Amino acid sequence: MMSRLRTPTASRARSGPRLDDVGVVLRTDGLTKRFGRVLAVDRLDIEVREGEVFGFLGPNGAGKTTTLRLLCALVAPTSGTAELAGLRLGRDDARIRGMVGILTEHPGLYERLTAAENLRFFAALYGLDTATASAQVERFLRLMGLWEQRGDAVATFSRGMKQKMAIARAALHEPRIMFLDEPTTGLDPDAARTVREFILALRAEGRTVFLCTHNLDEADRLCDRIAFFKRRVIRIAAPDELRAELYGRTTEIRVMPAPLPVHLERVLGTPGVSEAWLENGSILVRTADPLHTNPALVRTLVEGGAEVAFVSERRASLEDVYLRIVEETTP
Amino acid sequence: MTVLAGRASRQTIVGTVCVREWREAIGNKLLVGMTLFPPLIILVSGIFAVAAASLYPPSERDLRAIYAAAPAVAGLDPKEAVQGLIAQYFLILFMLIPTVVPLTIAIYSVIGEKAARTLEPLLATPVGVGELLLAKSIASTVPAVLVTWFAYGIYLFSVTVVGSQAAVNAVTAPRWILAMIVMVPLLTALSVNLGILISTRVNDVRVAQQIGGLVVIPVVALGIFQVTGRVVLDNESFFNMAITLVALDLLVFFAARLAFQRENILSRWR
Repeated sequence: MMSRLRTPTASRARSGPRLDDVGVVLRTDGLTKRFGRVLAVDRLDIEVREGEVFGFLGPNGAGKTTTLRLLCALVAPTSGTAELAGLRLGRDDARIRGMVGILTEHPGLYERLTAAENLRFFAALYGLDTATASAQVERFLRLMGLWEQRGDAVATFSRGMKQKMAIARAALHEPRIMFLDEPTTGLDPDAARTVREFILALRAEGRTVFLCTHNLDEADRLCDRIAFFKRRVIRIAAPDELRAELYGRTTEIRVMPAPLPVHLERVLGTPGVSEAWLENGSILVRTADPLHTNPALVRTLVEGGAEVAFVSERRASLEDVYLRIVEETTP
Repeated sequence: MTVLAGRASRQTIVGTVCVREWREAIGNKLLVGMTLFPPLIILVSGIFAVAAASLYPPSERDLRAIYAAAPAVAGLDPKEAVQGLIAQYFLILFMLIPTVVPLTIAIYSVIGEKAARTLEPLLATPVGVGELLLAKSIASTVPAVLVTWFAYGIYLFSVTVVGSQAAVNAVTAPRWILAMIVMVPLLTALSVNLGILISTRVNDVRVAQQIGGLVVIPVVALGIFQVTGRVVLDNESFFNMAITLVALDLLVFFAARLAFQRENILSRWR
């Protein structure tokens, strides 16, 4: 059994500092990248706050990896600029690379070296002294559950172990901003959970995480805000804000044995209800203020002879939100 | 919030990259074999040729030709003269070692990283690409120079055991010792940077080796010209060759530095 990180739960982590109260650690201004005639990133304007998990979602080929490389000072912008923790892209590139950590698309480890040798090599390049490097290598190998395998060649590791090694390498120098490109792709549930817990642990430490992912459930669980991106930013908002905006607040009322048309009529006649319909043996109700409308709904249904079994909030999935946004922006 | 990263010194970067490259190279049996095979063949052939010369003395006609081609051995005992001549000419083949061996190491150093996709995390560190290139050059140059010197040492020892005094004199001639000290590192550096330059453009080790193999042509040509008497390696030509090699080294390193750009590596190397 893989060792678990001692991390705050998702709900505890989410109750951290309010975004409005903390400073902006990353700001881009019209950041654009062209490769010849191909426009990869188009006038990117985003602000990422210190200590938040910022999701970066978009279809394949949207320019997410290029954006990551731009922000990590690996490729130069064609126009526009960015500032990371007061350091300016193009002017302070080496310092930016020292201040951020990046998990690349591929783990990119030296297969003939051991786990510890791989991490010690990168620790030296990040300028860590020998004692600090040894302590950090041990710390992160233990966090990732790989301490027992520290002397094994990386070539013998599974895909999940290599991915955890790559994450440990990205975090080794305690970067202020972590850029993670598809961190849980190809991992089994246990390894994916370790990685997610690690992201929450980083957030709890106040480090900023810039998360590129296709895993919408993961983005929903981890991200404070999400940017939908396709060469340019389409929308930035918290997942719940997007749901409320695109789908309103939907209440699901389960009536036994099954809702009747008369029940639906009573619901539609209740003040505050904007829309209601029957679906799979439930009445679905859209309302702007469920806290005040739902008690009235239950009352009117019971008075109408309905046997109300459950009342719950139906949350649109982030996948619904994502697909709707992509659909709206596709010409 | 603490960020631990600092600025590693150039010595640390070079040392760290070299140790890592060597650790990986030692673990790569194919690379070790390809590195050691050429010097081994040249060494064994050279020792065998000198030893065989004492068993089969030349004819009168051959002897006259040898005395004419190598005045230094004129008047010596025929066996000694042949051994001296062979020992001297085999040293030209030793100049192939610093062209072939480092080329293989340098090509594996870059193309190997391309294939393993390890360059992006490496380039994401605060290390400059110039420092990285320098470190990679040194990591390929040092073993190749050491292998050449080691092979020369064994050759010298073997010639002392199986060869004549004329052969020993030929191998320990000041010009050859100087060639080992000066020309070998210069040729190695040229070959390494040429290997890196080629590796930035191709993804296949075999293709890179075929292209890089062209670097042996000038060395082989020099050997042929010397044997046929068209070139005499006197002090002046030795000095001119050293100056030319220094200029070529700088030129190829500069070209490799231009090709070895962070953005090129990430966006164009496929």
